[in-house]
Amino acid sequence: MKGIPTVLVTVSPEVSAQMRPPRALYPKGFKIGNSLGRPGLRDLQKHVLRDALALFNQNTRPGNTVTIEYPEYGEQYEPPRVRKL
Amino acid sequence: MTISRKCVPFTPFDRELSKSAIAIVTAGGVHLKDQEPFNIADELGDLGFREIPPDVDSSQLMVTHHHYDHTDADQDINVVFPIDVLRDLEKEGVIGGIARKHIGYMGYTMQLKAMYEGTAREIANEIDKGSRADAVVLTGG
Repeated sequence: MKGIPTVLVTVSPEVSAQMRPPRALYPKGFKIGNSLGRPGLRDLQKHVLRDALALFNQNTRPGNTVTIEYPEYGEQYEPPRVRKL
Repeated sequence: MTISRKCVPFTPFDRELSKSAIAIVTAGGVHLKDQEPFNIADELGDLGFREIPPDVDSSQLMVTHHHYDHTDADQDINVVFPIDVLRDLEKEGVIGGIARKHIGYMGYTMQLKAMYEGTAREIANEIDKGSRADAVVLTGG
């Protein structure tokens, strides 16, 4: 296996950052269970997926998460935090 | 838990997106209604995964996962498994196609080593072996 390029869409950026994903998009304020947006909002879902796919051709820094705001999502939520020991 | 010291497993993408087939791998507990559901009774989590075909009717998909609120995914599976969205992007020429295999698993486990060294590798092999995917979109719940 030579490896397969991946991009992660995360709604828990602090938690997923611990695994240092090679490419990651955090749609800001989306709640858990809404990785691509809300049900039925196909244009928003498409917007998020296009942005995630676009990271394949961008000069992103492996291990970093790109945050993008989507006003059409509406009310935003606080993502889960990593508990400090 | 601290940040992983393992190097980032970065695989470069040197193709055109418009000529690339994309697979979805989700930790959101997605599977076909006629596949065996994930075992949520096991407090350690279910280490299995389910293969989802590229021509799946999205109304035939469901979620078995008890560690996130999947009410929205029950209404529209695309919020965690964007198969219809990928189809739209294929029609629009943004991507080249839909890969031949997609994967759903339950992204909750108390058996981290088995998930990392077992399940994750098996999923990567499944994708590598015959999905014809050029790239993968990963989603959680």
